[in-house]
Amino acid sequence: MLARARSRRCMQQLSGMERRLSLSVHIVTVKVVADPNTLTMFRVKGSLELRCHLDSTEASHIQKVLSRAFESLRTQMKSESCVFTVCDTPVIIWPNKGVFEDISPDSPCGDVLQRIQSDEPESGGKRATKKKSKKDWSASVANLYLMVEVTKPGPLSAPVINKTVQKSHFLSAALPLDCAVRTHCKETVKDVCDRLVEALTQQLCEMEKVMLQHMKGTTLLIPEPLHFLLPEPKGLVTVIFPAGVPDKELETQRRELHQRFELSDDRPYFRRANAYHFPNEPYKDGYLRNPHNALTHPTLENGKVYMVQGIYSYHHYMQDWMDDNGWGCAYRSLQTICSWFQQQGYVEQPVPSHKEIQQALVDVGDKQASFVGSRQWIGSIEVQAVLNHLLGITSKIMFVSQGSELASKGRELANHFLTEGTPIMIGGGVLAHTILGVAWSESTGQIRYLILDPHYTGSEDLQVIAEKGWCGWKGPEFWDQTAYYNLCLPQRPRVI
Amino acid sequence: MGRVYIVDEDVEGYLSKLCPQQAGPVTGLLIGQSSAQKDYVVIAAPTPKDEESAGKTVDKEWVSEHARQVSRMLPGGLTVLGVFMITDADAKDTVTTLRQLVFGVEKLISSEQQWSPAEDDVTDCVTLHVNPKTRKTVCRTFDIKDPKSTAKPAEWKYQSGVGSSWTTVSCWLNVDLFIPLPESRTTKGSAHKCLQEGLNVWTQQIENAVFLINGKKLPEDSELTSGQRRNVRQTYTAQLLTTVEEQRSAHVLQRCGGSVSVRGAAHCRAFLHTHKPKVKLAEKLLKRDAISTVATRVQMLLDEPLASEEQIKDTSGDKQQTEENCLPRRIFCPLRASGSLHVCDYQFSDEGLSEIVDRLKEMLDIDTAEEDLDTTQEMTAEITQSSFPTDPPEETNEELEPKRNNYIGAFMAAAAALLATAASMIYFSDM
Repeated sequence: MLARARSRRCMQQLSGMERRLSLSVHIVTVKVVADPNTLTMFRVKGSLELRCHLDSTEASHIQKVLSRAFESLRTQMKSESCVFTVCDTPVIIWPNKGVFEDISPDSPCGDVLQRIQSDEPESGGKRATKKKSKKDWSASVANLYLMVEVTKPGPLSAPVINKTVQKSHFLSAALPLDCAVRTHCKETVKDVCDRLVEALTQQLCEMEKVMLQHMKGTTLLIPEPLHFLLPEPKGLVTVIFPAGVPDKELETQRRELHQRFELSDDRPYFRRANAYHFPNEPYKDGYLRNPHNALTHPTLENGKVYMVQGIYSYHHYMQDWMDDNGWGCAYRSLQTICSWFQQQGYVEQPVPSHKEIQQALVDVGDKQASFVGSRQWIGSIEVQAVLNHLLGITSKIMFVSQGSELASKGRELANHFLTEGTPIMIGGGVLAHTILGVAWSESTGQIRYLILDPHYTGSEDLQVIAEKGWCGWKGPEFWDQTAYYNLCLPQRPRVI
Repeated sequence: MGRVYIVDEDVEGYLSKLCPQQAGPVTGLLIGQSSAQKDYVVIAAPTPKDEESAGKTVDKEWVSEHARQVSRMLPGGLTVLGVFMITDADAKDTVTTLRQLVFGVEKLISSEQQWSPAEDDVTDCVTLHVNPKTRKTVCRTFDIKDPKSTAKPAEWKYQSGVGSSWTTVSCWLNVDLFIPLPESRTTKGSAHKCLQEGLNVWTQQIENAVFLINGKKLPEDSELTSGQRRNVRQTYTAQLLTTVEEQRSAHVLQRCGGSVSVRGAAHCRAFLHTHKPKVKLAEKLLKRDAISTVATRVQMLLDEPLASEEQIKDTSGDKQQTEENCLPRRIFCPLRASGSLHVCDYQFSDEGLSEIVDRLKEMLDIDTAEEDLDTTQEMTAEITQSSFPTDPPEETNEELEPKRNNYIGAFMAAAAALLATAASMIYFSDM
């Protein structure tokens, strides 16, 4: 999600020293402006064909040929055959030719976003109103495709065919270009396009570097750009990683990046799972992400809000064609927690199914083999055991002898969200829930709990979930005042 | 409900002219464009005379081969719709022969076709029987998709000016093909397969390309004239935007035995029978023409590598052998003095325009003069070593002889070779 901006300006430039680092990074110029509603992003994606024909596989020769191939791609990027099409609109732009179809080059780039928004089907018919609702954020990214025009004005020379017979090698690969620039609404379309062309050309340079650095004999790795949204004021950063190389082999590169951006070295920012998810990109798996963002958070007198940090998926009853209505709530809370660890890049394992959770408990000796496939409940202790066994995550257990005591746990919960930032599973009475945050006032002792309820049986409808309180703020009376509760507080590993 | 063939009056006059000529049957091709309901016929091209058969019997292989060569001379939108036969035999007796002819023709033509067929393509072909004495015509169609299809009656109507107000869509397509050749050069088949695969990849790129008219992407079902001022001559320039498919992550340098690269521009053109054609039709026909013209020319040139194949067998494989040749350039010839329709032909670098004129006469029976030919659409390429910035060869084969490929000669010679294998397969399977 786009971070809310404060009124500060910050610009960073790539310095010569940075070019010597083994990983290429292009820092996007970030302009942080007071009014967040004018913050927009233009992203262009597309593939260009990298093609090489090599007489020998000697390293220096490969290098020479590759460099030449990249040079011709850079030339192509600046040529008249380079085309941007704006998704969901009829706008087509030839940035190097100054041809703008269906839009004027001098119009503010915000116009493009309005065009995209007006083509999107809106619920409730809220089309022309300028009301800046949360939904407007989804139209603040304009997606462009990079295409190549293969037609030219003629007449031109007829083709020449060149046939070479020689034992040789060749490479034909698609380079996945992906650049994003943050823009101010008032910037003209032409200026944004020029910036995008520049960014793409620059990205080709970095891709060349990464390819040459990771070259091993005759294996060449495709460079893959990923965007990361760093805490303000650093903003959006694009890093080129060699595709196919797992995160664990890229630790040195991540360490350098952490140093350069002065990021703490106890939490990951540059694992692949940390890549920024653009607002209007649907998640392929269909789960909702961070439904709590749709809520208004309570303001308590002298109070503050402490919440989960990062992205989780909402897991609840009846999902995945699994009818666990009445018994699966703790399993679902556990799945939500697992999704957090996966999406923050701490683990690569996908979210486990009910069966896999049960099997894990059998494997650690906590349950009998007959447990697998049953509809038996689990509690915090089991959640802790599964997190440990399947994901290698340790958790702390907090015990309260009666629900009324939870009202006094403000400080501990606040600390947990500050230092760990992970979702908490709470089980007691006959129910399990997930605590995503706490609003707590140290002076008055007032407390509210941000609860994600796994007992929801409906579809992934954010409006229903938010309005009906399936994700919502609850008071201390929410808990069964006489029942005892166990809370599982997962600890995040101190790694990058 | 049979099909309706709207035929240009000139074709009527032409067929009449053919009637009293000789004793034996006269066969030929009918050329035009099909649409969902009607078909439009604009050319009748007689089968060239073959000295051997002396015109007594109908030579099915010969007719098919003629059709194959002719379809290379037709720009987008013009296709061989069927065959005609002028004979005083009874119409009932000629059904079988005509059926065999038309199936043979279609099979041979579609075997060369590089582009993918579409669902809305018309699959009916026409056979026309003309009685030379009475000038009576019997028109029947067959569904080529159905090997068991039987003759259906169709209507044959003459009209003036069919083909006079067709719309033209064209573009110059920048071609930059790179096809690696297999390592072992022992079998010709493997090189051919590689070439075919390389062409397929390029073909798919073209078929998936975004099609623009006047810089805009128009909805498929809209008409080309929408939003335009009325032009006297409806001609449009199209543009194509392509993307590259995403591929795997790790890339090992692949071994190969060399490469074939094709670079330059091809002029592509398609004709559409209506004054207000749909964008979808324009896109389909222009793309097909683009694919055909490039694939045809590459095939033409690489089908005659006999000399260089022998040279290659002698080398150890490490020594580089390079040949550079110009693809034949595309030349257009107007069909009639007025009207927008053109046919085309390919001029090899060692040919003069007189050879084009001769071929147009032989294949399509078109009388034309050198000055009527439109040679301005494609310029003859210059072969210079420096035009290949990527990987200039270290040593070059000095024999850069342009291919001696006289088209008519090829027709006679290649036909004999081809017929023995390819064509006979067609007739075997048709039984």
